[in-house]
Amino acid sequence: MIDTPWPAGPFEFGEVLRLALALFGAVLASEALRRLIRLPRIAGYALAGLLLGPMGLGWFAGQDMLRFRMLIDLALALLLFELGVQVNLRWLRTNLWVVAGSLLESGLAFAATFGLLLFVFHVEGKLSAVIAAIAMGTSPAVVMRVAAELQAQGQVSQRILVMTALNTIYAIIASKLIIGGLHGAFKEDWVLAVMHPLYLVLGSFGMGAALAIAFKLLRRHFDFSDEQGGALLFALLLLTLAALEALNLPSGLAPLVGGIMVKFIDPRPHLWPRYFGTAGAVLFILLFVLTGAAMTWHDLLIGGGTAGALLLVRALAKGCGVVAFGPISGLSLKQSLLVGVALSPMAALALLLVQDVRLIYPAFGDKAASVVLTLMVVLEIAGAIAVQWALRKAGETREGGR
Amino acid sequence: MGLGSFAQSDALTLGVELELQLVNTHDYDLVGSAPDLLRLLSRKGATWDIKPEITMSMIEIATGVCHRHAEVLDQLEEIRDALVSCADSLNIGIAGGGTHSFQHWSERKISPTERFDYLSDLYGYLAKQFTIFGQHVHVGCPDADLALYLLHGLSRYVPHFIALSASSPFVQGHDTGFHSARLNSVFAFPLSGRAPFVETWEDFGTYFESMVKTGVVKSMKDFYWDIRPKPEFGTVEVRVMDTPLTIGRAAQLAAFIQSVARYLMVERPFMPGEDDYLVYTFNRFQACRFGSQGIYVDPQTNEHRSLADELVGTFSKIEAHAVALGAEGACAELLQGLRAGFSDATLLRDEHALTRSFPEVVQRQCQRWRAG
Repeated sequence: MIDTPWPAGPFEFGEVLRLALALFGAVLASEALRRLIRLPRIAGYALAGLLLGPMGLGWFAGQDMLRFRMLIDLALALLLFELGVQVNLRWLRTNLWVVAGSLLESGLAFAATFGLLLFVFHVEGKLSAVIAAIAMGTSPAVVMRVAAELQAQGQVSQRILVMTALNTIYAIIASKLIIGGLHGAFKEDWVLAVMHPLYLVLGSFGMGAALAIAFKLLRRHFDFSDEQGGALLFALLLLTLAALEALNLPSGLAPLVGGIMVKFIDPRPHLWPRYFGTAGAVLFILLFVLTGAAMTWHDLLIGGGTAGALLLVRALAKGCGVVAFGPISGLSLKQSLLVGVALSPMAALALLLVQDVRLIYPAFGDKAASVVLTLMVVLEIAGAIAVQWALRKAGETREGGR
Repeated sequence: MGLGSFAQSDALTLGVELELQLVNTHDYDLVGSAPDLLRLLSRKGATWDIKPEITMSMIEIATGVCHRHAEVLDQLEEIRDALVSCADSLNIGIAGGGTHSFQHWSERKISPTERFDYLSDLYGYLAKQFTIFGQHVHVGCPDADLALYLLHGLSRYVPHFIALSASSPFVQGHDTGFHSARLNSVFAFPLSGRAPFVETWEDFGTYFESMVKTGVVKSMKDFYWDIRPKPEFGTVEVRVMDTPLTIGRAAQLAAFIQSVARYLMVERPFMPGEDDYLVYTFNRFQACRFGSQGIYVDPQTNEHRSLADELVGTFSKIEAHAVALGAEGACAELLQGLRAGFSDATLLRDEHALTRSFPEVVQRQCQRWRAG
């Protein structure tokens, strides 16, 4: 075989071809949907993922999420870091009503989903709590990508991003705490049950701080808005991810917290090529395709009904939470409602959190996974549409207004 | 809407309007948050005269009728503090300066009011290009003919006002080389420039009526002159200044204009004439382009001298009037800055040289606005 330099059949195409075709298909599909029915691009990627996944052509399987985990982690780290930099802690200190609104909407979302699962669907308490914790979070990927696509700017856009950053932090921390509780339940090891989540949270904050300090030091010598600096930032986040993996820390919390700390210790304007240019864009497309492809018919059958009810209850809870403190925090009633609607998306991060549970407790995680998967796939697509609708209604998109 | 009669106001009373920039605190680009800021202000029971402007990233504040520099400064401080506190709860920044240094005009949005919709329809992209920020100073006049005398008299000092206020060296992310590039945007409007040389209110009324008959204008608002009469207020409105970087300087400029007006009204040092305007656009250009380093051509003697020298001379001529108005401190500070070669435009250039970043320049503008 090796003797001949010429190609000889049968041809074998591996991973690369599937990725290439997936990318190709996703871009074409989303562009077509965008032009035909003004669907947000990422919703198109997710739909393409559904089509390529087990529910359609079967090119990708649910496990591919794990095989490409590095890719997904990197894509999310980039997004979460950039999201963090948009959160101005000094502002939150000035306008505490924003924080109050955030706590209320997340708390209500937790309580409503937990209650529904426990009392209506009779899901066991621990499982209900894990799902409810994950359901507190809004997908950073969806809100950031849609806001970027529409070039949205203004109060509503800003609130959506900040609320998303905050509830993502709550969701990660709460789900880790509950996992700690599970440790106790499964192994009756209560020291571990307390110490492990504490380690995960404090470790993440520590890594976030390290990231922020490294960023600030590098910024003295590099301009992150040029290509060189962009590459450096990429490298810095990769390094962070490597360290997080070595330390067995979750991949999401540290980049987000790091971003927030960066803005706090260095309030100067932060500019870098949004979403890291073309290389970043490819990563994000694959991120959405892969999350779309994670869904199976099995999940839909098991999780579908529950997810449908959860979806409604969660949206209502989040809406009420935001509206309750919206006007007093400086928004109009209409703007508050729009922010509430736009907090509905769930996507990749929720999936990763479920998978973290699954890795530790395979049997336990499977049940939760079906519900969250279904919720996620629906809210990835419908949520993107909701965010787009809200930003347009708020008149904060580039093409909106006059 | 006709011209109407010229309302009476006390001589040399002052009213100051400032157009301000609203920016986000992330990358410090302009942000269309004027409706949010106005809503919050009215909710907090603010009674100040604060209005939307043509695009949604602009806001205009105005003092009431003031008599002295100190009063102007007090009022501006009070309004500034209220604004800053509301802006803080919305996480937006407020900045002075005649232009935003790196915004792109096409990204601006027209404020949704009938008047601005009309302007946008009429002027097309010029309306969005009009996202520039000026200071207007009203000077009270007891009668209309005196107002026209004052208007033409003050016209000789337009270069002075421009050079002292200039704060718009950057446009759309580039150094224009101008001290006040803002006024170039005003020049694009068909009814900009200077008022016609008429000396009585009756003649002015005739001119206005014939302009209305041409169908070109409907009201005084349609004239974008450097100085125009405002009959409803009984004032002459000087409109050539860039919004300075601080309210302190804005109040000083108002005091300077008031002192020059008193000098003109009391001493009647010259009779304005149509020939004054032969050098008007040249002098105006020199001031915009080079600030106080520009050339000033004396309309009376045709002598060429540096605007800085001309300004120093003016400060000494008006000194007694400044003292009479309690404006001597403000004028002294302007003069001191002039002697040191200071202007807001050079300050912005220095900050850009230091930071090499327009967003950082805007961030510093916000800090300066809040503090000074």
